[in-house]
This record gives sequence, C-alpha cells and structure tokens, in this order.
Amino acid sequence: MIEFIEECRREWKRLGVPDAIANEMAADLTADIEEAEAEGGSAEDVLGNSLFDPRRFAAAWAGARGVSTSSIPVPDGPSAVPARDRPRWYGPIAALALTAAVLLVALVAAAAIVGRHGSAVAAPVRRILEVPGSTRLFAPGTPTPPFRYSVSGASFVVQQAGPFTVLVFALLVVLIIALGLAVLFWSPWFRRGSNRGTR
Amino acid sequence: MHCKLLLDTLRCMATVDGRRSQLLRGVLDLCLLAVMGEGAAYGYEMTKRLRARGLSMVGEGSIYPLLGRLERDGLVETRRQASNGGPPRKYYSLSLEGKRALETGIDEWKAARDAIDGALDLAKVEVMP
Repeated sequence: MIEFIEECRREWKRLGVPDAIANEMAADLTADIEEAEAEGGSAEDVLGNSLFDPRRFAAAWAGARGVSTSSIPVPDGPSAVPARDRPRWYGPIAALALTAAVLLVALVAAAAIVGRHGSAVAAPVRRILEVPGSTRLFAPGTPTPPFRYSVSGASFVVQQAGPFTVLVFALLVVLIIALGLAVLFWSPWFRRGSNRGTR
Repeated sequence: MHCKLLLDTLRCMATVDGRRSQLLRGVLDLCLLAVMGEGAAYGYEMTKRLRARGLSMVGEGSIYPLLGRLERDGLVETRRQASNGGPPRKYYSLSLEGKRALETGIDEWKAARDAIDGALDLAKVEVMP
C-alpha cells in the first residue's frame, strides 16, 4: 500500500501537481485504504484494477481534477514522447531524417565497395556513381581487394579481413537497423501506439 | 465436449461482464451524484454505498478520478471534516448545479432505459441446450 502511494506521489511530482494537493490526495487515499483494511477488505476494494497501475491512476486523478501543471501523460506505447506533445511537423521531419540517414549509409557503403572492391558485384554500383559529368567519389581503377571470400563446404570463410571489412559490416548493421526503424515508424502498429496518447 | 461447453460458458460470462462494465461506466457519475444525494460522503464511503446497492463497478477502476472531474465541473462541493475517530476526510456533497445535473441525468437514463426495453422486449430468444 505504501509503495502504491509513493508511486502516486512520484507521478504527481512528475506531472507538476502542487505539493499541498498531492499531500491531500495521498492522505485521502491512505485513509480510505486503511479503513477498507480495518474492515477486513483490501486496497483493491478501494482502488479496483487501478491498484495494479498506480502511475496511470495518479495521472488520471490529477488530470480529472485539473491540477497538473505539466501535460506529460503516462508513457504509453512504444514512444516515450507523447504524440499530443509533438509538434505537427514531427512526423514528416522524423521520417525525412530517417530516410536521409538510410540513404547516406547506403551511399557510403556502396561507395566504399566501389572504391575498394573490384569485383563484378560492384560494377552496377560503379556505373551509377560514375555518371559522366558528375563528381566521382573515388578515383577510377581497381585496387587489390582487401578481402576475398571462398565457399568451403557449408561455411563462408573470410580469408582476409581488415578494418575496411569491419567498416563495411558496421555500415551494413547500421543500414539494417535504420531500415528496421523506418519500417517500424511507418507501421500501423506504431501509429496506433502514438495515437493512443491523443485519445 | 465438456471443455467446449466450459469455454463457451466462460466466453459468455466474459461478454456479459464486459457489457455490464461498460453500461455501468457510462452512468457511474450519475450513481455517484445519486449516493451523494443521500448525504455528504467521502470516497470510500461512496464506494460502500454503491456496493450496498449491488453496484460493485469500482472493481473496474477507482472512483477518485471521477470525483475529481465532478469537483472540477462544479457539480460537487467539498469540505474537510473529521471522521469517526479517524483522520480528517474530504466530504463530497451535491452543489446546486450537481442537483440539476442529477435530475437531468435521471431523466436521460429513464428515457434511454425505456427505449432499450422497448427494443429488447420484442426479442424472442430460444437457446437450444
């Protein structure tokens, strides 16, 4: 019970509820719960299902009374930033930034492969980057590939790996993560979660 | 076979509970105003009054946020007063506006109830065992 009240107090503090009002609400709650327990009942008789979600309960109560000076609601869904607190331009700007990051990583990875790897796999990419009249990111010519792969049985073996290999793989990982975030951002699940806070 | 029957029964109970819960939630403010009409009361006292009338909807959630809204809307007046041997409690009572809201709410409820009764009374349900 004490833990519940303390959790409520923390939430009220977070929401900017004045101390005097928070103390009053905590005292009322404590008295009611103590009375219920004295009569052989429990805190659940007073609080119902709210007993299991003190932060939501505290936020709902403060919100209903109109005593919170902050509009920060209880975190809900995948985003800790409430949707209603976001400016209107948040969505498009975030999407653009994410897309730009993905493109940048992809471009750097492709450029690195073209510049340092002369395999046939890189040829189409090189064609894209070496458009006549455009600025080339890397000097033409094919230096010796810094790493080479061979298939031995079922295993895929890196025969020679250096910092460049690590860089390429790191870029690949970043690319995958960025793509995952982009998909997550645009998915209906994410939108549902964001909209929940606006209802 | 028994399992299916049990599952169907449980599913049916859950549906009934859900509907009842939603129905009660829609009129809980009215019920609170009504029990306050019997005399000023503090939070838990109102819960007990509701329970005494067979309304245990507090199990679905607390009445405190609702009391807060009623207070903010000016439908109730509050005062802090010593209780029987316990700490001072916040007592809620109906304001003039609250009395009007209660009167209007009761009329609305009765109208809605009559309309629903009219629709449901037409239904003829036979459930095969």
